Amino acid sequence: MPVLNSVFRHREFGDHLTSLVEYERAGGYLGLQGTLAMSPDDALYAFHRSGLRGRGGAGFPMGRKASFLPKDTGKPTYIVCNADESEPGTFKDREIIEHNPFQLIEGMTIAGYAVGCERAYIYIRGEYGVQGEVLAAAITEAREAGRLGPDALGPGRPFDITLYRGAGAYICGEETALLESLEGKRGQPRLKPPFPAVAGLYGCPTLINNVETLAALPPIMHRGPDWYAAMGNEKSPGTKLFSVSGHVLKPGNFEIVLGETTLRELIYDLAGGLREGREVKAVWPGGSSVPVIGRESLDVPLDYETLNGVGTFLGSGGCIVMDDSGCIVRASWRLAQFYRHESCGKCTPCREGTGWLAKILGRMVHGEGRGEEDIRMLESLFGRISGRTLCPLADGAVMPVQSALNLFRDEFVRVASEGSPRPEPMMETPVG
Amino acid sequence: MTTHELEEFLAPMRHEYADPRSLILPALRYAQGDAGWLDPQAMAAVAEATGFSQAYVESVASFYDRLYLEPVGRRVINVCVTLSCMLRGSDEIFEHLADYLGLDGEGTTDDGMFSLHKVQCIGACDRAPCLQIDAGQQIGPLEPADATCLVDDLREAAAPARYDR
Repeated sequence: MPVLNSVFRHREFGDHLTSLVEYERAGGYLGLQGTLAMSPDDALYAFHRSGLRGRGGAGFPMGRKASFLPKDTGKPTYIVCNADESEPGTFKDREIIEHNPFQLIEGMTIAGYAVGCERAYIYIRGEYGVQGEVLAAAITEAREAGRLGPDALGPGRPFDITLYRGAGAYICGEETALLESLEGKRGQPRLKPPFPAVAGLYGCPTLINNVETLAALPPIMHRGPDWYAAMGNEKSPGTKLFSVSGHVLKPGNFEIVLGETTLRELIYDLAGGLREGREVKAVWPGGSSVPVIGRESLDVPLDYETLNGVGTFLGSGGCIVMDDSGCIVRASWRLAQFYRHESCGKCTPCREGTGWLAKILGRMVHGEGRGEEDIRMLESLFGRISGRTLCPLADGAVMPVQSALNLFRDEFVRVASEGSPRPEPMMETPVG
Repeated sequence: MTTHELEEFLAPMRHEYADPRSLILPALRYAQGDAGWLDPQAMAAVAEATGFSQAYVESVASFYDRLYLEPVGRRVINVCVTLSCMLRGSDEIFEHLADYLGLDGEGTTDDGMFSLHKVQCIGACDRAPCLQIDAGQQIGPLEPADATCLVDDLREAAAPARYDR
């Protein structure tokens, strides 16, 4: 594996940059300085040239998304940072917030200059209480130092950030549900179009990006978009944080250059591998909402396109690993319970369908399955849920279960008639 | 929670939002800090301080897991049971805690000290199996004995001045 030029400064300069002084000593705010020396359009073009893709899960090119914002509408333009990190298996934004909050604040300021925004919001999930306090303190410190406030982008050029805390709802990570929640409503997704770029927060042009995406901007603007684009490959440039958890000996976050590290290297070299005598059985490589893959796909290099090639997605980079001690039906049931709980209830196929997925998988696991009839019922459900809803939550609920059934059909058939006793959990203390 | 207290809390942030409706969620969170749940008095105060009807305010509150519309214990123990935690023994932690607290699954102890909840991924799968007291730090990796020690410590500790759930 190649040596990494880290995009996230706390990884390069010691792991805690929670004061402004420490952050500036590590090169903080050089990116903004460089940005302010160019025109906003040139800054936008730099985002575009870097090839940075949205790190929340969809992987949409960040520069293109920013370029969709209409200008001269007579309305304010908003930036909203999505810090609602709730995708199972994903804890990378938590690391950035806890260890390097100013890089996010600087990134938002850079984006604010480029798109002409004076007021930005960070929407952080309610469960991140401690992380919210870290961010609130960092915002206050930046404001006191003049890095936020009336002259943040130069004399008389204001930019400020408001921290907004959610109150427990996975769906609020979906961008339009997030906007609804931020507007003081129930967090239910909107019909698109219009997209948030055109009519987002309060009906105004809004740029919504994930924490990791915005935090990547300062080094991109400091070292130049070509430096960033030179890492990785053409369609997947740069680095990505992967959160690895489950049956690995050393769970944690790992920053890798896209396209240069295989899933096997991520699991075995970086995340400590598995327990003695165990083999990989299943991996959800991009959070729980992506199709599961088996050990035959371990040698895939981690980037957006190559993962699509083996039938899954890079998603949020929340890589959940299960070894051969685990039961795939039980794991699928647990995920189905998650989506049933988190369905916002707006679209019938999702509200009812996630309930049925959880119910059928649950009775299979508990030895009350109906054999082939349950398998057929599961199969008939997938197409009645997927693609029939306003937002991708329903697709995210179906993909891991459908792919699991395709990959481990024999096990599903067996569990549907015999049940599945609870396996021994992994009790080893994480190393490192 | 009085309307006046809430108005004082909201005053410095009003200018940050183009629509006062955005104040409802911060107001609900703040109002819940008093009793640890949104009693009818708190709901009424939020409605009055923000200028929206109580029915609307309640409809918003009912959407979110961490806003409680019914009384909960002095401390809420949130045990994550999503996949990564399950693989590392969260179900065993939960059952151990339920046993220790004399609960039959999720619920609140008779003395009102603790509510035990199963929650979905709290973003700390590197610490699996993990739990969170109210909205505090994600604690893990836990063994059953750690979890009961934690409960014993909490039993001794004073209630927080304000709840952050």
